[in-house]
Amino acid sequence: MTINRDRLMDVLDKAHRGPVIKQFDWDTRVIPGVIAAKLKEYGLQKTCDPANPINQDLELADRFYRAAVDVATEVGMLCTDTQRAIRYSQAELLAGVDAAPAAFTLGEGREIAHFVHRAISDPTPPIWVSPLSIAVSEEVFEPLVTGIAAIPEVDCLEGPSFETIWGAPLRAGSPYELLAGKMQAEAFYGAIARAGREGIGLYAVGTSPTHYGVLGGFGIPGGYKPQRDIVLVLSPVEIKTSYENLMKLAHAYNCGGQTYGGSWSMIGGYAGGPEGAALSCIACTIMLYNVYQCVNGASFPYDLKTMGNCGRPALWSLGVVFQALSRNTHLCANSVLNQTAGPATECLLYESAVGMMLLSVCGASSCTGPRSAGGKYTNYITPLEVKFAGEVFKRCAGMSLAQANEIANRLLPKYEQQLGNPPKGQSFQECYDLATLQPSDEWQRIYDTVKDAAIAAGMPLH
Amino acid sequence: MDKQELLTQLYDSILDTEPEAAAAAAQAAIDAGVDAMEAIEVASEAIAEIGDMFEAGEIFLPSLMLAGEAMKQSMAILSRHLHSGQATQTKAKVVIGAVSGDIHDIGKNLVATMLSVHGYDVIDVGVNVPPMEVIDVALREKARFIALSALMTTSMPYQQDVLNLLTETGARNRFFVIVGGGPVTSDYARRIGADGWGNSAVSAVRLCDRLLQSQETPPVSATFVQE
Ligand code: B12
Repeated sequence: MTINRDRLMDVLDKAHRGPVIKQFDWDTRVIPGVIAAKLKEYGLQKTCDPANPINQDLELADRFYRAAVDVATEVGMLCTDTQRAIRYSQAELLAGVDAAPAAFTLGEGREIAHFVHRAISDPTPPIWVSPLSIAVSEEVFEPLVTGIAAIPEVDCLEGPSFETIWGAPLRAGSPYELLAGKMQAEAFYGAIARAGREGIGLYAVGTSPTHYGVLGGFGIPGGYKPQRDIVLVLSPVEIKTSYENLMKLAHAYNCGGQTYGGSWSMIGGYAGGPEGAALSCIACTIMLYNVYQCVNGASFPYDLKTMGNCGRPALWSLGVVFQALSRNTHLCANSVLNQTAGPATECLLYESAVGMMLLSVCGASSCTGPRSAGGKYTNYITPLEVKFAGEVFKRCAGMSLAQANEIANRLLPKYEQQLGNPPKGQSFQECYDLATLQPSDEWQRIYDTVKDAAIAAGMPLH
Repeated sequence: MDKQELLTQLYDSILDTEPEAAAAAAQAAIDAGVDAMEAIEVASEAIAEIGDMFEAGEIFLPSLMLAGEAMKQSMAILSRHLHSGQATQTKAKVVIGAVSGDIHDIGKNLVATMLSVHGYDVIDVGVNVPPMEVIDVALREKARFIALSALMTTSMPYQQDVLNLLTETGARNRFFVIVGGGPVTSDYARRIGADGWGNSAVSAVRLCDRLLQSQETPPVSATFVQE
């Protein structure tokens, strides 16, 4: 689906003529005030049930959706550069969500990835986009991408991203970033060709902290291709946009490309607890599909206590968000799972097992990940956790919510105590042979152990 | 209203996270002849309680930020009415921001608010701030600390730029420079010659306290690390 110019111009107009709201007031009064009022009005307070990390009450998810439509209508989305709110009427917002496609494709040839809207417990396998934009050193990029592209469960690629460019530090918002946009596109196309997966769809541009990476890499000669790749537009928390984001959108329009819209809501942050975060995520998703006319994406909860979303309150919140979107829209909603432990640890795989199963059964169309070691450390990402997460995500399709909840309750005790202080694990170079692209015996053993435990807990991973 | 009631009103306005009410309560206390120092002590007790509530997960980020603002607004009034010789409660001035290219602001906001809750005078220069701009503000404000947040590998080089610029312009000895944010490790902080590194908002407060209590002047002999 291409971006509609009238809607784009309307967004820009609203960003310059909407009601003036100072960012401090937005964060401390508008968002918390409206979220609290709607939680109360719809009876959603204290509905989080940590004993059942995968919500079983679908009527509750529907109520969250209705409340979120109200939130989105009342708050809109703040443009931080103009300090004005982009607002729509409720009817316009719902029409904008309806205008998003129920299916779309990325990639080309035999690698084409078919994204479809998914129902709760949908047997259609979801799409696995991997990995996140985790920084790696230049010499690691090619072997890592080759290793990841060789995994059949991987349908599209987003990361990794570069730490340096031709040896120089890659500085956000500088000419280095503009150069890195194309450099990353070339590196990807080279690596996927050598891995025999030329047509695989790419999310652009992982190495684009500001808009410059996208301007330098998408739709230019030798860059990411608008007819098969997609522009990432990630919105600041909470329900905000900016010139940087809108420039990515405008560039996607210029190139005839499609957009992905993403954001977060923090449990313990502006929206409050797990219920407030869920409500804010759904409202933000409605705004993302309106403001960016995206075909894929969503906003997801993140727990400030554990710096991730694989603990009970965050899992519950994440499940409600995707259940609400699955049942009340036809969107191809995408999630991000935020693991906290690093490669070569059991904790990382257990976090992935529970989180990916949850997303698979709660109607996510696709997921981007993993975020090994919280994505914080250079070169802390390996193909083996990508493979494991993909296997769980696809094979759990069709499972009932009740069964998934039981499995989650069996697996959570194996890792939840570690969440506050997760093990960092090992870097790609430490737990992989870069020449043969084989994991170390130790890492392979950890994978086998966790897979056996997941099977014993009832997961269909045989 | 008697003095006790006025002070209770000030205390409550901060606990209720109401900046305007806190400013009005501070002004009312001054107008009624309450000693500014005594009012500052009451306000500090309230903000300390807010800090405890946040750490215990009883209140969330917006309340913490609003209470911080309430404290700031009441302090602006009260500190003008201190008698000469009465020291203010603030420990030191901190200029904080997220460096160029980086718009991740949640961690920075947490650190800024926790520092002000714990008695620091915090000037938040926002996100995506060029190195020289941070320094200019710190010089103008006669700050003691420059606190830099970076959440990406691609913004970390700007933390180093701030240190380099300070050294090259002869201003390195004027500020303790502390760094933090997701990917910033203590090793990196050491490598770029920062004075301190912390991995949470609470650790940022302890870090600043320790640097102030130390006998050192910037640049410190070995980077202070606070988990
Ligand atoms: C939320 C988020 C976003 C939001 C930001 C919203 C906002 N308003 O802040 C959005 C969606 C906009 C976003 C965008 C991007 N993000 Co982002 N984001 C995150 C995420 C999920 C959480 C960050 C967060 O808020 N954490 C919670 C806070 C409380 O933690 P914290 O900031 O670390 O702060 C604590 C401590 O570090 C410390 N601290 C912080 N600052 C300081 C300072 C001092 C002096 C001290 C002492 C202590 C201290 O105290 C804080 C409180 O405890 C992280 C993942 C992660 N695991 O961190 C990625 C992450 C930081 N993002 C990343 C990336 C790549 C991006 C994008 C480039 C993606 C893209 N291609 O568009 C853009 C860049 C935008 C930009 N120009 O900055 C990467 C960085 C990878 C790397 N190593 O470089 C991460 C790690 C994700 C990943 N790939 O795995 N992101």
